[in-house]
Amino acid sequence: MSIHASPRALRASSWWRPVAARLDRFAGGVFILPAVLVILAFSIFPLLTSLYVSLSRLGFSEGGVQLKFVGFANYAKLLFGIDRPHFLGVSGPLTPIGIAVLVAIYGLFAFLLYRYARGPNLTVGGLVGRVLATAIAGALVWLVVNTILTSGRPGTLVVTLVYVAVDVSVQYLLGLGLALLVVQHLPGRRFFRVVFLLPMMITPVGVAYLFRMLVDTSKGPLYPLWAHFGLTDISWVTNPWGARLAVMVGDIWQWTPFIFIVLLAAIETLPHELVEAAVVDGANRLQVFWRITFPQILPATVTVVLIRIIEGFKIVDLPNVLTNGGPGTATESLTLHAYTIWRALDIGGSAAVAYMLLIVVTFVGISYVNLLRPRAAAA
Amino acid sequence: MASIRRRGGSVSTTSISFPAMTLSYIALFAWTFVVLFPLYWLAVTALKTPLEVNGGPFYIPWRDFQPTLDSWHYIFFDLREDTFRPYTNTVVVGLTSTAITVLLGSMAAYALVRMRYQVGFGAIGSFVIALAIAVVVVVAGGPWPVGLVAGIAVFVLLLQTVARRFKRGVGNDDIAFWMISQRMLPPVATVIPIYIFFQQLQLLDTWAALIITYTAAHLPIVVWLMRDYFQSVPVELEESAAIDGASPYRIFRSIVLPLAVPGLVATFLFVLVFAWNEYLIALFLTSANAQTLPLTVAAQNATRGPQWWYMSVLILIMIGPVIAMAIALERYIAKGLLVGAVKG
Amino acid sequence: MSRILARALVLLVGVGVIAACSNGSNTSSNQSFSGTTIRVVTFTGPQIAEPLQRRAPDFEKATGAKVQIITVPFSDLYQKVLTDFSTKTNSYDATVFDPQWMGDYVPPGYLEDLTDRVKNDSALQWNDIAPFFRDFSATFKGKVYTIPLDGDFQMVYYRKDLLQKDGLKAPETWDDYISIAQHFQGKDLNGDGKPDYGSCLAMKRSAQSYWAWISIAAAYLQSQGTKQGAFFNTDTMQPLTNNPAAAAALTVYKQLSKIGPPEQLNQDVGDSRGLFVTGRCALSLDWGDIGPLAVDKTQSTVQDKVGAVILPGSKKVLDRSSNQLVDCNATLCPYATNGVNHSPFAAFGGWSGAINKAASAKVKDAAFAFLSYMSQPAQSSVDVTIGKTGFNPYRSSHFTNMGPWTASGMSDQAAKDYLGAIQSSLQSPNMVLDLRIPQTAFYQQTALDTALAQFLAGEISLSQTMTQITNQWNAKTDEIGRQSQLDAYRSSLSITK
Repeated sequence: MSIHASPRALRASSWWRPVAARLDRFAGGVFILPAVLVILAFSIFPLLTSLYVSLSRLGFSEGGVQLKFVGFANYAKLLFGIDRPHFLGVSGPLTPIGIAVLVAIYGLFAFLLYRYARGPNLTVGGLVGRVLATAIAGALVWLVVNTILTSGRPGTLVVTLVYVAVDVSVQYLLGLGLALLVVQHLPGRRFFRVVFLLPMMITPVGVAYLFRMLVDTSKGPLYPLWAHFGLTDISWVTNPWGARLAVMVGDIWQWTPFIFIVLLAAIETLPHELVEAAVVDGANRLQVFWRITFPQILPATVTVVLIRIIEGFKIVDLPNVLTNGGPGTATESLTLHAYTIWRALDIGGSAAVAYMLLIVVTFVGISYVNLLRPRAAAA
Repeated sequence: MASIRRRGGSVSTTSISFPAMTLSYIALFAWTFVVLFPLYWLAVTALKTPLEVNGGPFYIPWRDFQPTLDSWHYIFFDLREDTFRPYTNTVVVGLTSTAITVLLGSMAAYALVRMRYQVGFGAIGSFVIALAIAVVVVVAGGPWPVGLVAGIAVFVLLLQTVARRFKRGVGNDDIAFWMISQRMLPPVATVIPIYIFFQQLQLLDTWAALIITYTAAHLPIVVWLMRDYFQSVPVELEESAAIDGASPYRIFRSIVLPLAVPGLVATFLFVLVFAWNEYLIALFLTSANAQTLPLTVAAQNATRGPQWWYMSVLILIMIGPVIAMAIALERYIAKGLLVGAVKG
Repeated sequence: MSRILARALVLLVGVGVIAACSNGSNTSSNQSFSGTTIRVVTFTGPQIAEPLQRRAPDFEKATGAKVQIITVPFSDLYQKVLTDFSTKTNSYDATVFDPQWMGDYVPPGYLEDLTDRVKNDSALQWNDIAPFFRDFSATFKGKVYTIPLDGDFQMVYYRKDLLQKDGLKAPETWDDYISIAQHFQGKDLNGDGKPDYGSCLAMKRSAQSYWAWISIAAAYLQSQGTKQGAFFNTDTMQPLTNNPAAAAALTVYKQLSKIGPPEQLNQDVGDSRGLFVTGRCALSLDWGDIGPLAVDKTQSTVQDKVGAVILPGSKKVLDRSSNQLVDCNATLCPYATNGVNHSPFAAFGGWSGAINKAASAKVKDAAFAFLSYMSQPAQSSVDVTIGKTGFNPYRSSHFTNMGPWTASGMSDQAAKDYLGAIQSSLQSPNMVLDLRIPQTAFYQQTALDTALAQFLAGEISLSQTMTQITNQWNAKTDEIGRQSQLDAYRSSLSITK
């Protein structure tokens, strides 16, 4: 490979020169426009269509379909109407633990807001944005605490939030740990590198069926284990949290490799000199990690976690195949909720659920990026 | 090339103490077991008869049960073209869409890292107005090509007149976030519009429909991942090349891409895996000719309950090529990089 | 990688050559449809798709029409075909589907009216088809839209050997069913030393759970013939889901959820069948599939140990005027035997062929000829005896001709038991027609199924369950239009004023 050798060779012919110069001038557009146009073409249309669909009701007319505009009826049904228990859950009376958790989290929010308000970076826009974000986050926390830490039951929104929070954090910790282990100079590390990728390569539907085989308490491979602990009689998959656990284990199994390989590639691209210099300065492993490795891979971390959050919110295959959302509605995620009513031809209601999901993910995504991007950039 | 050093791979050049090494191996093998055991179960299930699958856990072939190739025979001979046709489709669609996605995506990612964009609110506003006009035309009953042309005309007109007056706009980070936000809507909400889109273009049940859709769907992921890798490429190399008179395209192709190979390979693998395994869009955009393998896997659960034995065979033959590719490409992830910046 | 690709290519070429050869040998007698291709969509088999694919070449030889069988995964067939028809994509000329979906397909006019064709086709032997399938299942608003290829209804299967040994009789009522199940629960039924289960049902959510529940509820809800209907009041379209009959059925269902495998709430019909044919359950409730499955030596350990009976009934039924459960009498239960009202439930309705109205005339003719060919006794009497086809008997001649049955591996006694149960269900004038109105999928798969799952999981109480189903159904009915839904419901039951 030669970098310096022949940059000018291209310019040799005379007809090429004006074209090339022109192209160079538009390089900014040439680089980014294909991607932007493709995404635009394939996102605007579905986005607008499904927004319109979420405000309407599907009917079949002679030889075709008709969409009847119904305003916000589909949303109202989810938030206030007969689907509210399904979507938001049922809240019970608050327990002391619930109150303590609420007080602690709200206190933290208040403290963060206060610190920002007294800090040097205060702007009106920033403050409004933060107050708004805190309000929405507070509402979500209230919902989670009221349905999970009480005698109530969580709706599909809360279940999805739980999936995302647990899955992504465990996946990140596992993926990071494995990446750190694998970058070491250990014999056989190339073997681990490939093996650890395997779960990601199976089609998600396939993983779901695979886990359905694995968690079977009567003929699955772990039968001796269940039998030993006396779990065959209570069948943990028919217990709400047991079933959710099964779904989460499957998701963690499948997607830890994603985080693993992104972080691995990020650590591999780190400049050596930094680490060597730190080691010469007498830093131990932990210090090297916290002072050098972690800040350096922070941009990759931000990205990979954001992608996992976005994809994690769309979890559908595992709960769909493993439990079909049961027992009851215990494992039903938002996308599965949308999918179930979509299959029953309630396309409008389904689009409304999808849009609620979009709103929540957008909120989480923007908050997350705004919270971490500056730090990643500063590092 | 003297100024660039090749490195052997990993970060920690310090020697590892024996206890640390033992612990590392324990952890690594534990996770290896967690990863491989389910796959082992797939492999043995593919060798069982239905009776053995339903009869309880049998672990080791020849000891616990007599393995049989019945399921393999069914998939390869009884289903024959119903296996091979989707297989070919999956390979073609997966590789093509991944190649296009990685190419377009890394270009955009590079641009977002090294160039400064400022999309004016005026331009965005013009676009919205143009879009609204197009929508109105279509809703009012006009044919969609007319709406499209009208929309584009209005957009260009506004862009060149009114939009220039607006100074403020969105920058690179906003563009990147806009891109990734396109993945937030679950496919179940977008699949019908996409279906109608391709139906209008008469492209249903073709490779093209799948390739285009997958490209659009996975571009944001490529952009985001590659952005971080490009950021870690030392800018000095590019600057000196630019001073030498290299065009942006040449810098991108000859300097930036080679330096980002680990990232490219990792990203390629992901996108390939996503495209290889996608279900819902494939279900709707195909009917007879372009069906892909995930449909075949899902189809093994029909009125008689999941046919575990066939499903296992299908999953195994599905991941085979991807594993081969991972093994082949692993070298590039591991190879280490051109590290160290320009010295002179 | 390239080697794998090369091999795949070689294989593909090979397959292509074979296919080309097999197409070449086409000698014809009557090529009236030559040059026509019929695109038929159904779900990925082997069931249903297998016999269609197997017989397509013979049909082509006879008529010249090429039949292309397109398959999509079972779970998405309904959506896929409906999307195709409603957006006028029309990539399918015919579909072999669940006639229950007619409620969504017929009113907007996606399906071809077959009434005259059926009348004029003597080879089809329309009157040989059992009256329920002819007059109700294939018919909507008095017109024929589908050709039955399969007879689906639920029955109860029991382990004859076990019941005989303990001196028990096959269950007649749901109370009998429960007491037999309780008797065997926890005992070792297949000699492997592990405790087994009294009854195995498919209670998983979004699977077959709601059909099982309707099979139970039907006995309490419908007693005066198919036209009475088991889902709605045929005058007001008020759901029949909040009354003592529904409560009784829910109570039975909940009891059964506890007399079975511990994982029962997460088991679909595939699981329950697997357990039953490996000898782990004394009782099960299922479609006709268990019959052929139980004699299949590669899957079953209970050959000749299985008996089948018509769905258990009830001695008390809902008196619709007083909305109370009352004892059966001659006026209330005209079809009762020994004071027990049986309401066999034609769940799902049996796979049937229908033709896309938008197809060209010639293709429609060819498609009808193909569906008729599949249904004619010469073909179907063999197909219904083969387990792999997924076809269950639906013609009178399927019962009179015992040859194919014993040839398929059933003993005489087993065949007699199995067919006896089917026949007694088929001939019942009190058979329950599955719900067939626009958006049936919502009423059953979404509203009813979710409520049942929540009830079984203990998320909601008995009365909450009944209120929830009723409210959801009423809300949907009002949303679509009560009058139009009522018309559709009455049409499906062939009620004409």
